[in-house]
Amino acid sequence: MEILDSFGLESSLFLFQVINFLVILAILTKFLYKPLRNMMDERKRRIEQSLRDADEAKSALENAGMERKQILASAKKDADEMTALNKRQLSVEKEKLTQEAKEHSQQIIEEAKEKAVVELENVSKQAGLISVDLSGKIIAKVFSNLFTEEDKQKILSRALDKIAKGGYEKDSN
Amino acid sequence: MSIAPGILFEVVGFPITNTIVTTLLTDIVLIVLVICISKTISLRPKGIQNAIEMAIDYFYTLTEDTAGKKVSFIYPWVLTFFLFIVISNLLAQFPGFESIRFHPVNYSGEEGVPLFRAATSDLNVTLALATISVIATNYLGIKHIGIKSYLSKFVSFKMFPIFMFVGILEFANELTKFISFSFRLLGNIFAGESMLSQMYHLFPIGVPLPFIALELMVAVIQALVFAMLTMAFMHIMTDKPQH
Repeated sequence: MEILDSFGLESSLFLFQVINFLVILAILTKFLYKPLRNMMDERKRRIEQSLRDADEAKSALENAGMERKQILASAKKDADEMTALNKRQLSVEKEKLTQEAKEHSQQIIEEAKEKAVVELENVSKQAGLISVDLSGKIIAKVFSNLFTEEDKQKILSRALDKIAKGGYEKDSN
Repeated sequence: MSIAPGILFEVVGFPITNTIVTTLLTDIVLIVLVICISKTISLRPKGIQNAIEMAIDYFYTLTEDTAGKKVSFIYPWVLTFFLFIVISNLLAQFPGFESIRFHPVNYSGEEGVPLFRAATSDLNVTLALATISVIATNYLGIKHIGIKSYLSKFVSFKMFPIFMFVGILEFANELTKFISFSFRLLGNIFAGESMLSQMYHLFPIGVPLPFIALELMVAVIQALVFAMLTMAFMHIMTDKPQH
């Protein structure tokens, strides 16, 4: 015990130092270590999150580039297909319209021809009637003085019969 | 220079020694540090926060490497031992320690008592730290492996009488921790302080500089040794016995 006394060991001083250290430990743990550890963990978490975000952004950018290329390729393919389809449709439509126009013009020509034939027949008939009428008048004028009224009627009747049978035309030819 | 701390005065029968004054100075430094950190703490560290974060991270990583999952309850003890001892030791290197003298009432000597003295050059301090370290180590041991496994470290009848003697050695080892912890720190710091005191008396200018540098190293190394040993003992004590 003398040795301990020479070291100045005293129970009150010893207890003071024990309590003092425990108080300091409690203060440091609560107000220094915990807040700083939380801060360091939060910083670590944020850094890791930032790195993950950067990686994700990088891969998203790469994906977007690839997607852009795919979309462009797909759009080009669609446009080519659409153009080809339009060309085919246009060609079919053109042929159809051309055919319809041809048919329509053919029909118009046919109708015109028919009308022309009918018109020609009408004109021929009218010309025949005019010529008969004119012939009758000429004959009547020429033969009015040569024949009696009875002869005139007979000749006229025969002439009219011939004309009516077409013999007049054959004779004239 | 006496190894016993100098009593400056008494408050209600409680002796205020020069090592208590230094202990309180150490407390003030630590509390100011806590207040500074609390006020300026931010996600982007600057100034003193960098240094403290570095210390915390160093001890946390070191304890994690050694003790694994038990890091969260071991490292506050280890780091507090380190900070308390290192600040106390470094304060003793400031001018004024040993040189500023105080004349207590009823003091008969001429030189007086040093007003400041390294806290860790007092056996009361080092023994208190050693006691806390050993008791905390054993408490954590009981808490984490259970009282049965804890007692089996000291009392075991397996392979009688081999593990019985091993248990006795383990118990003696626990007792010697008090002595090794307290006297290692006390011896190193007291010896350094005495040596520097003699140096200042003999060669006040120039010559003490290398010794001051040496004492700065000793201050950090002794704090580190105390903290590391506490960490190692806590890790060992919280591991289940293999026998």
